[in-house]
Amino acid sequence: MSKVKPAPLAPNTIIGGYKIIRKVAAGGFGVVYQALDSEGLQVAIKEYLPASLATREPGELMPRVLPEKLSLYRLGLKSFFEEGRSLAQISHPSVVSVLNFFRENETVYMVMNYLEGASLQDFIITAKDLKNQKVFRESTILSLFDEILRGLRIVHQHKMLHLDIKPANIFVTDDNRAVLIDFGAAREVLSKEGNFIRPMYTPGFAAPEMYRRDTAMGPWTDIYAIGACIYSCMQGYPPNEAPQRKEKDRFSTALARLRGTYSDNLIEVVEWCMALDPLSRPQSVFALQKEMNREGERRYTKLSVGEKVRMQFDSMLSDSKKSGKGAAGVAGRDR
Amino acid sequence: MKFSVFQLSRLGGRAINQDRMGYSYTRNAGFFLVADGLGGHPQGEVAAQMALQVMTGLFQSAAKIGIEDVYTFLESAIKIADRKIHRYSIEKGMPDSPRTTLVAALIQEGGISWIHCGDSRLYLVRDGELLAKTRDHSYIEQKQGDSTDEKLSEGVNRNLLYTCLGSPIPPVFEITGPVGLKEGDKILLCSDGLWGALSDVEIVYDLANKTAANAVRDLVDKALTKAGNASDNVTALALEWETPDQFETTRIPDDGLFTSTVNAHGYEQLSDDLNEEEIERSIAEINDAIRRSSIKKK
Repeated sequence: MSKVKPAPLAPNTIIGGYKIIRKVAAGGFGVVYQALDSEGLQVAIKEYLPASLATREPGELMPRVLPEKLSLYRLGLKSFFEEGRSLAQISHPSVVSVLNFFRENETVYMVMNYLEGASLQDFIITAKDLKNQKVFRESTILSLFDEILRGLRIVHQHKMLHLDIKPANIFVTDDNRAVLIDFGAAREVLSKEGNFIRPMYTPGFAAPEMYRRDTAMGPWTDIYAIGACIYSCMQGYPPNEAPQRKEKDRFSTALARLRGTYSDNLIEVVEWCMALDPLSRPQSVFALQKEMNREGERRYTKLSVGEKVRMQFDSMLSDSKKSGKGAAGVAGRDR
Repeated sequence: MKFSVFQLSRLGGRAINQDRMGYSYTRNAGFFLVADGLGGHPQGEVAAQMALQVMTGLFQSAAKIGIEDVYTFLESAIKIADRKIHRYSIEKGMPDSPRTTLVAALIQEGGISWIHCGDSRLYLVRDGELLAKTRDHSYIEQKQGDSTDEKLSEGVNRNLLYTCLGSPIPPVFEITGPVGLKEGDKILLCSDGLWGALSDVEIVYDLANKTAANAVRDLVDKALTKAGNASDNVTALALEWETPDQFETTRIPDDGLFTSTVNAHGYEQLSDDLNEEEIERSIAEINDAIRRSSIKKK
């Protein structure tokens, strides 16, 4: 089995009438390129090229599918289509839009809007480096997630779950829009073939039910991830992994540390979203939106002196334990 | 590549034959299979048939290019076959899934490798001696270990398997090889209907002293006679490597063509595979959806 990643298409390659500029990202499913369409407008092109099933030599166009992997390759292709099909029906400013879908080089390509800006993850890392008491202002968090939730609600209405919501998949454009990207439907189906392609989930953002096969996933699964994203925006790092939380949950303590800095309302929302029991979370985006948009005064609970001291002590302890595990953890993906 | 092959399957005292066998080969590679659908679960014959067809189909697409990594090929083939059986039972809404054993041998570049799951066996005989034999994935075999003491087997049902294809638990399988083949080597793939009625000595004797075809005919006959009315179905496939000229040899087809006793097609629709037409249709549907939602937007 080759461990070498398939080579991306070279800059200036023309595919389907689009000109490749550069590779933007690569994941288990394939490669994303920045490209220009025939009118010179920028687009993003996602190429289906699962690294574990196909290879491609540098300079070549055609991927070579390992013959014994052909069946899985086609299975993944089906999921890639599912992603395209679902996204094609959705037209919402907070959801990345698909412009075209075509077949070439014996694989398929999905053309999407090219977004200029940075991921929420980049913003969190930058903000954290500034060492402010607050990573983000509460109003920023509220308006950002208001947009994301509007998009997610439409996604759920189309009977689709994102299943990999995390700061790296929330894009903040230069014109200040929050856009949900990387719809990993392909991932979800592929992950059922646990032996071939490792289930992909992002620790910290994946709800407990994603680690199991016997619990139903639903809007509440994406909502858990939303809670984890908000938490990351507040703390500057992701929450503990769900299985870890099941063993020893220090989540409430971690949240308590944010009291006074953020409103009790927001802290409670995060706690609600991230309940380990799926039934204890908001069951729909609508239910969550209702809570987040509730008018009224924000409540703040100041920390007592005793609590402050204890917390400082805790953070000294945990800082010394966890040195070297910084913001990069936000991007951590279990592979 | 030169070999002779013969296969035979006969109904024992059962209502239906759930055994399946077959082979497929090109100039460069050959693939031989026996599957025995399990009773006690629905449609064992479907599971056996699917295992054969799915794995042969994978062999044919892989062999066109050349199988570089035999181990990976055999492993993914058995897993895909297992998954397709599950898919079948889900699509049919069956409360219990059909199950089958499987033994398959792949010959290429003068070497043989085999995979097995359950209690269908492979015997490799060289110079009159048993060179290799698969170990069943049954409780009795597990209990006996390497001991040949017959007493140990008392009270343990030899039909109880701890793994098979189609079971809710992922299949346990073993891959052996490649073993370099020598002229005159005989390979037998058979269901438990054959080895359950005969001793290894009898099996090895016939393989060593008869042509592949005669050995199969005689062994199947003997097994059926010996087991009488209660006989299980008996299935055997034997091949002889680099047969001397007095035997009728297989006609090796031109490159790119397969001689096959298994129809490698038929379960594509059932499953996850997409054919060309479906790919084109999916792309057209997606583009249609893109057009419609962009109109809505304007």
